[in-house]
Parts: sequence; structure tokens; C-alpha cells
Amino acid sequence: MSAAVTVGRPASASPLRRQAASLAQAWRRLRHQPATVAALVALVLIAVAAAAAPLLAPFAPDETDFTAALSGPTAEHPLGTDDLGRDTLSRVIYSARTALLVAGGSVLVAMLIGVPLGLLLGYKGGWYDRLGSRGLDVADALPGLLVGFVVIAVLGRGMLVLIVAIGLIFCMNFARMTRAVTLTERKKPYVEAARVSGLPHRQVVFRQVLPNLAGPLVVQGAVFLGSAIKVESALSFLGLGLDESQPSWGGMLGLAAEHQADHPFMALPPGIAIVVTVLAFNVLGDGLNDALSGRRPTRRRRAARSAARPQRAGGIPPASAAVAEQHPRAERPVAAAQTVRPEPAALELRDVTVVADRPTGETVPLVADVALTVARGEVLGLLGESGSGKSMLAKAALGLLPAGVRLGSGSVLLHGRDIAGCSDRELREVRGRSLGVVFQNPQANLSPVHTVGRQLAEPLRAHLGMSRVQARERAAELLDLVGVDDPRRRLGQYPYQFSGGMAQRVAIAIALAGEPDVLIADEATSALDVTTQSQVLDLLLDLRERLDMAVVMITHDLGVVAETCDRVAVMYAGQIVETGAVRSLFDRPRHPYTAALLAAHPSADRDVDRLPTIPGRVPLAGEWPPGCHFAGRCPFVRPECTAGPVPLTDHVRCVRAAEIALEVSEVAHA
Amino acid sequence: MGKLVAYRVLFAVPQLAIVSLVVFSLTYLVPGSPAAAILGTAATPDAIAQVEAQLGLDRPPLERLASWFGGVLTGDLGTSFRSGVPVAELLGQRFPATLSLVLGGMVVALVVGVGAGVLTGTRPGTTTDRVITGGTVLGLAIPEFWLGLVLTLVFAVQLGWVPVVAWTPITEDPVAWLRGLLLPSVALGLTGAAIIARQTRAAVVSALAAPYVDTLTAAGVPRRRVVLVYGVKNALVPVLASAGITFAILIGASFVVEKVFTSPGLGSLMLTSVIGKDFPVVQGVVLLTAVLVVVVNFVLDVGYGVINPQARPQ
Repeated sequence: MSAAVTVGRPASASPLRRQAASLAQAWRRLRHQPATVAALVALVLIAVAAAAAPLLAPFAPDETDFTAALSGPTAEHPLGTDDLGRDTLSRVIYSARTALLVAGGSVLVAMLIGVPLGLLLGYKGGWYDRLGSRGLDVADALPGLLVGFVVIAVLGRGMLVLIVAIGLIFCMNFARMTRAVTLTERKKPYVEAARVSGLPHRQVVFRQVLPNLAGPLVVQGAVFLGSAIKVESALSFLGLGLDESQPSWGGMLGLAAEHQADHPFMALPPGIAIVVTVLAFNVLGDGLNDALSGRRPTRRRRAARSAARPQRAGGIPPASAAVAEQHPRAERPVAAAQTVRPEPAALELRDVTVVADRPTGETVPLVADVALTVARGEVLGLLGESGSGKSMLAKAALGLLPAGVRLGSGSVLLHGRDIAGCSDRELREVRGRSLGVVFQNPQANLSPVHTVGRQLAEPLRAHLGMSRVQARERAAELLDLVGVDDPRRRLGQYPYQFSGGMAQRVAIAIALAGEPDVLIADEATSALDVTTQSQVLDLLLDLRERLDMAVVMITHDLGVVAETCDRVAVMYAGQIVETGAVRSLFDRPRHPYTAALLAAHPSADRDVDRLPTIPGRVPLAGEWPPGCHFAGRCPFVRPECTAGPVPLTDHVRCVRAAEIALEVSEVAHA
Repeated sequence: MGKLVAYRVLFAVPQLAIVSLVVFSLTYLVPGSPAAAILGTAATPDAIAQVEAQLGLDRPPLERLASWFGGVLTGDLGTSFRSGVPVAELLGQRFPATLSLVLGGMVVALVVGVGAGVLTGTRPGTTTDRVITGGTVLGLAIPEFWLGLVLTLVFAVQLGWVPVVAWTPITEDPVAWLRGLLLPSVALGLTGAAIIARQTRAAVVSALAAPYVDTLTAAGVPRRRVVLVYGVKNALVPVLASAGITFAILIGASFVVEKVFTSPGLGSLMLTSVIGKDFPVVQGVVLLTAVLVVVVNFVLDVGYGVINPQARPQ
């Protein structure tokens, strides 16, 4: 299939080294997240304040001063006092001790119960897991706070009870998470391999599962510390937490609630203390999660997105009205038309360059100076390995490039009208109406939660202004056209009720709904099995005939090209290296890459033990050599090949095209 | 659809049975005798024996279990040890306030949460996104009851837009009921809204990256329509799947929030019962809450089946 030698990652590498490397990486990422750093600093300050409370607080937490009872902020009591004249600032500081102690203790309890339970369920599997998971589901029926109530009702109040109560609330989450991670790890090849080779279970758990669990545990731990503080304050607010003598933010708020009409200020200091602490834990958890999963902070993502908005480097003017009017839609009948005068190509790509904007600010070309034409009724193959840029080309033509990728320069001409740089609204008229596309993955191409009929009706209503009833009628006809039996019944079904081949027929019907002049099939049959593949290809050829469409067949499969295409363009590392009629190109390839590709294709009438492969691999975008992109793998390479850019001369991009003789004609009958 | 409902009922029954079994066994977990815990340290053995007989604690466990389940099925949950009133009656008095508050909070959570999630998920990286997403991070950190205190200070005490003591039964005056429910629902619902907004945002972002979005856009369907009709419905699948957990969180939080608004719900009943060791009432509240969560999850699951065809049993 593919000529490239793929270098796979060894499947059974131990995670330990990866883990260490990714930890260092995570730490580097973490330092570049200002919010996370701020949260970390805030938490350190809170912890220090809690530890050094006797030194920092101006008063003892239970020191009463009835002369100053319920005073607002004064010089002596900057945050005021409560009804016993106790200093609010001092009590807020001392309460941090309670909060951190209870939160830390309860998360520890939750982990001590949850992690072993999760490991047991995930590792043992079978009945343990089924019963245990049911148990976890049942536990979902009880709100966490209610569990706290019950534990306190049963065991009475006190520090230890509070810690256990809150710990029990969160242990289910740890159990669930541990179970999920264990299940994932257990199925990985290296754990399977370790088990088969007789490594004791204990070692598998400690060496393989726990390291992978560390990241999620730390993230969840941080978040639950915040949640635990919220629960603790709620219970203390209700008077179910610690003793009156123990200052706590929640208890202070309980007092504030009694005075909310006459002394509203009392509610602010402890409340803000809770919010800041919980916020810091949550932000830390989010930051850790981003750092460990390698996600980029939002700011960079935004940069990538703004770069993705259409900005044209080249100054090609939008299509003039005069050009557009030469080809009004209405004049073109759907059936084959006899044309005498030479008309512009159905689709022409002129010097199209697609570039990606890296977060670092550099611009990397993905497709360079591609020129292609396809005429009405013609099937053009665009052949290339994955990574050659052929799919980017299709998306560039439709204005559907992903975020961070844009059209650098060049024009996309549909019947002579340039649509590159058109607004989304203008493109709406073109998409599906002049230019349709079918993508690779048949099931994912359809929305899983909408009926097939509904999705098929969308373009009909958008382009042809059909009513609901008309659209349904036409949708049934289209399904019939693409060979779906019993179309009326099938319209009411969902994509999961369709096989891959049938789903792809539906995707084709959607693309055809607006009766486009050009259909781009982007690896449209690659995910299908061989029989289904040839049925769908036959369908495309038949439709081409009946609707007089131009078809661009983007594929990596030489067989597909040989079977269906009139002409073919071969792409390598972002460039077209050779174009020609299928027959002659397969018989007499002129570019060494084309020849190598043909030689690497299995063929029934060749009797060889081992298929030749092309040594090396396709250079990645951004690593293209200055000269011929194929020079690094070419057996015919000469110094002049790498000197500078090689132009496409007489349909081939090779400086030695005239002098080298390529012998692969025997594979032409694919 | 009928099949889905039947399946869910089949799942809910054992779930409720197990919960009521756990609730039943609560009294066995109390260190020493529950009667001693109720009466305190100064209780004489005679008094303890008397209370035990009154609570039926002197009967064998199996007999108690049978009568507990019999009671649960017939709606007899015993009598409050403190007030002597049947537990079912106490629950009936308190349930409307809790149900009103929790449903109000859930409406706020879903409307605000899904709205904010769609708003941010469709324009990731923009200023709107960063401001609202920052708001959700803050929202998660604010305790519901404190938000209730602050809202009361601002809107009831300072501005006087709504009454401070808010609860009016709907049977008495529906308008006053709704007005009084406004602040508590917002206080209760905003944290849930933050949870749902985060889930919705992530779900919308991933739905809009799906190939079907390209397929429909490439067929000429307006982007707006693709996003709002196809992106959002697909995004709601995971959001609805976890809304039940949010609902359970809201019930727990409502027990605290109702104290701020002096609303006569299950929370204050639970509170006095926990402090007074009134075990029959504690058991009744826990069981009723569990039933409520299970019923709401049932409704949500059926709704989930409506939007996600693959969740319907074939």
C-alpha cells in the first residue's frame, strides 16, 4: 500500500522513563502558566499564615472584648469583631489551620480508601468489578453532603469524625478514577507482556499502574482539597463541624448569617478567605492537568486561531462579477451538455501554497506551488502518501482549512472564477453547489444524533430552497441514486444503523445534493473493505457519467487510481512531482519517486519474494530540503539535485528526467 | 422508547433496594446503642431499655429488616423519636420547599450552564470565552451558602427588591412563591451552572472538530446552522449524561442554602435530627433524597435516550 518505511514506536516500552521525561516536561510547562504559579504562591502564603498564626494574628482567636463587640473595621480590629468582640482578622487566620488540616486529612482518607478499592476493581475485573461498579453507581444516588450528615449523626461531632465524613464523600471519586486508569493500563501491551512473562501482580501494580496513576491523583487531589474546604465550611456553617472553640470560616459565616441584617460586613472576610483558597486549589488542579496532559495554555491557542482567519498573502483580487456571469448556474443543465467552445477547466488550482503558523511565529509550508486542472467529466487522481499534503489541498480548495493553517498564496478557479479568499458567506454558495467533497471516515462524516434524512435535507434546503416535504422527496431520490435500498425507510434511520459502505453512500449523497460540478473524493473509499470499496468507486464513476461531473480522487492507493482515473498527479512532500495520463504514467514513469511507488506496489503478475521499499521516510513539513524534496531517498541523486528548487518542467519535477531511464513497466497492470 | 423506560425501571429498583438496605443498617453502625446515644451519658439502663423497645431495637435484625422494608413499601417510615410525629408526615411538610428550591437551582444551572458553555465553546480563545471561562472557575470556588448570604445582602437587605424571608408555598400565592424562589435558586444553581458550563464548552469544542461538521459545511449548510443545530445537539449528549450527578450535588447544597433563606425544607429537619440523634427521621430524609435522585436520573436517562438514538435499547 504505502511505499514508505514506517518507523513504529516499540509497543512494549516501559512507562517509567517516559514518566520521568514527561514529569520534567510538565514542570517546564507549569512554570509558563502564570495563573498556576499565582495559585501556588497563594497556597504557600495561606499555609504559612496557618502555620504561623500565633505570630501573625494580632489577638488570640478566643480573646473576647465586649466593649468592641460587633464593631466594624477599626484601627484596632481591621476586619471588625463578632458578637463576643473577638477579632475577625485573627479568627480568619486561625481558621486557615482548621480548613487545611481537615481538607488535607480528608483527602488522605479518601485516597487511602479509594485507591486500593479502585485498584482491586480494575485489576481483578470480573465479578469484583461488576459488583463494585454497581456499588459506586448506587453511591451516586446519595449527595455527598448527606453522607457527611449521616456520618456525623452516627459518630457525633469532632475533628476526626469530620475528616472521616468528608473523606468518605470523596473516596468514591478516587476509586472510580483509579479503576479507570487501572483498566486502561491493564490492557496495554507492556502490562500484558509483563503478566505473561510471570511478573508478580504486586510488581505490575507498583511499577506500571501506580506511576500512571500519579498524575491524575495529584490533579484530583488538588481539586478535592478545594472541594473539601467547601464541604467543611458548609458543615461548620450549619454547626455540625468542629466545636465552637475551634475557629472556622464556616462557623464565622454561621454567626454572620444571624447578623446579616444589622452587620452585613461580617459575612465578607471569611467568605472571601474560602473563595480564595478554593479558587487557588482549583486553578492549581487545572494547571497541573494541563501541564501533565501537555495542553497549551489558552493564549497560544488564541494566537493559532487568529492566524487561521483567512489572510491572503498574495494580492489576488476576488472574482469580478463579469467572470461570474459568464457561467450562471441556471444555464447549466444537469445532464451532459454538448459544448463546442473551449471552456475553462471545471476546477483549476493555480500555484496554491498552504502554510501552517506555528505558535513560535514561524510559518511552515505544507503544500507548495501546486497547479492542477480538472475538466468536466474527467477523473483526476491525486496520488500521495500520508503527509504529502494532498488532503490539505482539498480543504484549501473549499476554504475548510483547520485552525492554524491557511492559504498562503495562489488561486482556486471554478470555471474561471477565483474563490480563494472569499468570505464564508460567499463560499456557502460555492460549497456543495459548485464543489462537493466526500471525506474519509464514513461513520464520523455523519452526525450520530440526527437522522440521515435530516442531514441529507440540509444542503437541499440551503441550496435549492426546498420545503421540508420537497427536500424529503428529493432526499429519497438521492439515496436511491447512490444505491441505498428502501430509501424512504432509511431516511428515518440514524448513522449507526448504516454499514460503513452504506454510510459513505449517504455522505456521497449529501455531497451531491447541491448538484456540484466538481466532486472531491478525499480518501473516500480508504476505510472500506475491498469489495465495498470497488462498489463505491463504481458508483462514483457512474455518477460522473450521469451528472457530467469532474471528480478529483485523492488517494494513496495506486489500485484506485488505475481503476478509476483518467489523469493522475503524484504528490510528494507538498509538491506535485509528476502529472500525466494514467496509462502513460504507469507505463513510463519519469520521476524516480513515481517509479519507486510503482515498484513497491504488489501486483498479481509479478513474481517476487519481497517487495522493494523506498528507504528513509517522507521529510516532514518544515524539514524540506532546499532542492528536490525526494533527493534524500533517490537512487539517482546528483549534486545538482540539491542545489536549489526544482521547477515542474514538461509535467515532471526532476532535473535528470531526460537522462535517466526508469524501468518499472511491468507493474502497470495494477 | 417504551423499552428504554422499562430498562431504566429495572435498574432503578435494585438501586433503591440497596440504598434502603444501607439506610436501614445505619443504626447498627452507631457505636454502642443508638438509644444510649440518643439519651446521652446520664441515661439509666432502664431508660435505655425503654427507648430501645420504643425504637424496636430489641427485636432480632431480620425481623426489623422485614418490618423496615414493609414500612418503606407502605410509606410508613416510623415515628420521630423527638416529636412523636410520623416521619412520613414530617417529610411531607418539608418536601415542597426542598423540591422547589432544587428544581429552581437545576433550571438556573442548566440554562446558565448550557448557555455559557455554547457561547464559549463556539468561540474558543476569544475575549468572551476567556471572561466567561474565568467566571466559571470563580463560580466553582464560591460556596453556595455564602453566595446566598451575599445575594441577600445586596438584593434583599440593601436594594429591597425581594423579601428577606422568602418562602411562600405555591398553593398560597404562586407569584410570591416564584419571587421568593428567585435568589435561592440563583445562589444554589450558579455552582452547578459552572460545572455544566465547563462540560458543555468542552463538548461543543470537540463536537465542532468532528468530521460531520466539515461534511455539512462542505455541502453548503450555513456555518451558524451547523454549529447551533448539529454541534450543540451532539454536545448535549455528554452534558445530559452527567447532569444527574450535578442534580445530586444540588440537593446536598440545598440543605445548606435553605438555612440562609430560612426556607422550611428537608435540610433544617435533617439538621435538628442529626443534632438530636433522631435516627428514624435521619433515615427518612436519606431515603427520600435517594428516591428523588434516582427518579431525576431516570427522567434524565429517558431524555438522554431521546437525543441519543444509540442509548435506546434495540
